[in-house]
Amino acid sequence: MTTATSTHRRPWRLAVIVAYTLRSCIGPKRWVGCLLPCAGALLFGLLAHAMKEAPGDAFARVAADGIFALVVPIASLVIGDAVFGAEVRSGVFHFTWLTPTPLTSIVVGRWIGGTIVALVTIVPACGLAALIAGDPDGVLPAAIASAFGASAYIAVFVAIGCVARRAAVWSLAFVFLVERLLGTALTGIAQWSPTWESRAVFVDFSPGAPQSIVRDGIPVGGGAVVRLVLIAAIALVIARVRLSRLRITGAAD
Amino acid sequence: MTDTAPLDPAFAPNPTVEVANTSVWFGQKVALSELSCSFGPGVTGLLGPNGAGKTTLMRAITGLIPANQGTVRVEGRNPRTDRAVHTRMALVPEDEAVPAGLTARQLVRYVADLHGLTDRDAVERALDEVGMLDVAGRRVDGFSKGMRQRTKVAAALVADPNVLVLDEPLNGADPVQRAHLIDLFRRLGREGRTVIVSSHVLNEVERLADRIIVIVHGRLAAAGGQRAIRDAMNDRPRHVLIRADDRRRLASALIGLDSVAGIQFDTDSVVVATSRAAELAMSLPALARELSVRLREVRPLDDSLESLFRELVR
Repeated sequence: MTTATSTHRRPWRLAVIVAYTLRSCIGPKRWVGCLLPCAGALLFGLLAHAMKEAPGDAFARVAADGIFALVVPIASLVIGDAVFGAEVRSGVFHFTWLTPTPLTSIVVGRWIGGTIVALVTIVPACGLAALIAGDPDGVLPAAIASAFGASAYIAVFVAIGCVARRAAVWSLAFVFLVERLLGTALTGIAQWSPTWESRAVFVDFSPGAPQSIVRDGIPVGGGAVVRLVLIAAIALVIARVRLSRLRITGAAD
Repeated sequence: MTDTAPLDPAFAPNPTVEVANTSVWFGQKVALSELSCSFGPGVTGLLGPNGAGKTTLMRAITGLIPANQGTVRVEGRNPRTDRAVHTRMALVPEDEAVPAGLTARQLVRYVADLHGLTDRDAVERALDEVGMLDVAGRRVDGFSKGMRQRTKVAAALVADPNVLVLDEPLNGADPVQRAHLIDLFRRLGREGRTVIVSSHVLNEVERLADRIIVIVHGRLAAAGGQRAIRDAMNDRPRHVLIRADDRRRLASALIGLDSVAGIQFDTDSVVVATSRAAELAMSLPALARELSVRLREVRPLDDSLESLFRELVR
C-alpha cells in the first residue's frame, strides 16, 4: 500500500516575502502612521490656495517644501522601518533569516512590499494634493515624483535598518540632518538626496512648476528618475551586504 | 592493544554541531569565553543559570550572531555564511515575540514556503505534532506564552530539520503540554536528530536529555551524563547563607553535621561552607524543625551556581 502525499508547486520565495511583508509588517498602527503624513499632503494641497501665485506655481512651491521634503520622507520612514528595522528590533526576524532564502530575496522582497504600500498610500495622496491645490496638470508629475522618491527612500531606510539597531532614529537623522541640513548647504549631498531628486522629477514633468525649486547641478526629469533608481539600487546593495553581517538578537537585547 | 583514551565528555562521538574555542562578546560584556564542545544525535541539555551564555551559544550555532573568535560548524558548514545549512537546522528561540497579524497556520506556512516545501500536508502535520491544529486559525499574537512556544516548535519542525535548537522551549507550557513536548523532543532525539535543549531548571533537563553541558559565565562548567553532572555539582564546595531566629543555636547544631565543613558568623546570619550541598539541603529543614528554629532565608553565595543550587534544594 502506498500513501499519497499531496504536493503543490514550489513557492517563489520572493513572492512569499512580499506577501508576508504586506500581511505582517504593516500593522494597523503602521497604517495610521503612514496615512497621517498622507493626510498632511492633502492639507498642503489646501495650503496652496492661500498663496498668491498661479495654482501650478503655488502647488509646486508647496510640494517642494512640504510634500517632497516632509510628507514623502516621513511616510516612507514609517513604511521603511516597518518592513525591516522594526522586525529586527522586535525579535521576529529570525523566522525569515533562519531559512535557506537568499539574503538578496529577503532585502528585495521587503523593499518591494514597502514600495507597494507607498504606491497605495503616498502616491495617491500626492496626486490628490495637486488636484486639491487646483493644479490638475500636476497630478501625474506629483504621482511619478512621489512614487520614485518613496521607493528610493524605502530602500535607504531598509539599508539603515540593516546597519543600525535604532533604525528609526538614524532614519530621522538622515532626513533632517543629512538631507535637510547638509543637503541644503552642500550640493554634493543634494545630488544623492531623494528629496532633491524628487523635486527635480516633478519640475521637469509639471508644466507650471518654476525651475527655481530645483538645485543647480541636479539633473531634472528622466535624469532625476535614473538618479532615484540608482539611489535605491545602491541602498539595496548596502542592505544586502550589511544583512550578512547583522547580529540578530532578541527583543530584550 | 587498542587505544582506549577516554573521550572528553564535552564532545559528542559523532558530532553534527561543533563549537571550537568560541568567544562572543557584546561591547564590554563577554557572553561566551573560549567555549569548546560538540553535539551529536540525541538530546543534549544545555544547563546554566540565567545570563550564563546559553542563548548566545544557541544563536551562534544557528548563525544569528557571529563568533568573535573561534569557529562554529553545523554538519561541517559555517551557519553564518552558508545559507544551505538552514535547510537542515531550526531554532525555537526563547523570545515571546511573534509576527503580528498572522494565524498559527499562516506563520508555519510562511516558514514552510521559505524552505520551498512542496508537501501540502507538512504544515498540518507540524501543527498536529504540537497539538495546535484546533487553534491553527487563530492569530499567534493573541496566544498565551505556552501556545506561542508550541507554534514556534511547529514552525521549527515543519521543514523536518536534522538539527533542532530549542531555547527554553518549555517556558509557559502547562504540565500536560510540558509532558507532551518532552516526549516529542525525546522521540526526535531517538530518531537520530541532534536536539539541543536549553534550560535553567536541572530537573527539566534531566527529564529531557541523556547528556548535559553546563555553562556558567560563558564558560564550560561541566559536561557528561546526568549522574556525572549531579556529582560534579554536589562535590563543588559552596557557601550558603542562612538567616534564622536563633542562629547561634542553629550554628552549633550545624557544625555537627558531616556535610558542613565550616561556619562563619556574619552580622545577622551564618555562612556555612559545604562540599555536599544536596545533603545539607536535606538535613537543614529537619534540623531547624528539631531545634524549633525558624529559617528566614537560605541562599547560596556562589552566584554562578545559584539557580542550580536552588533547584537542588527545592
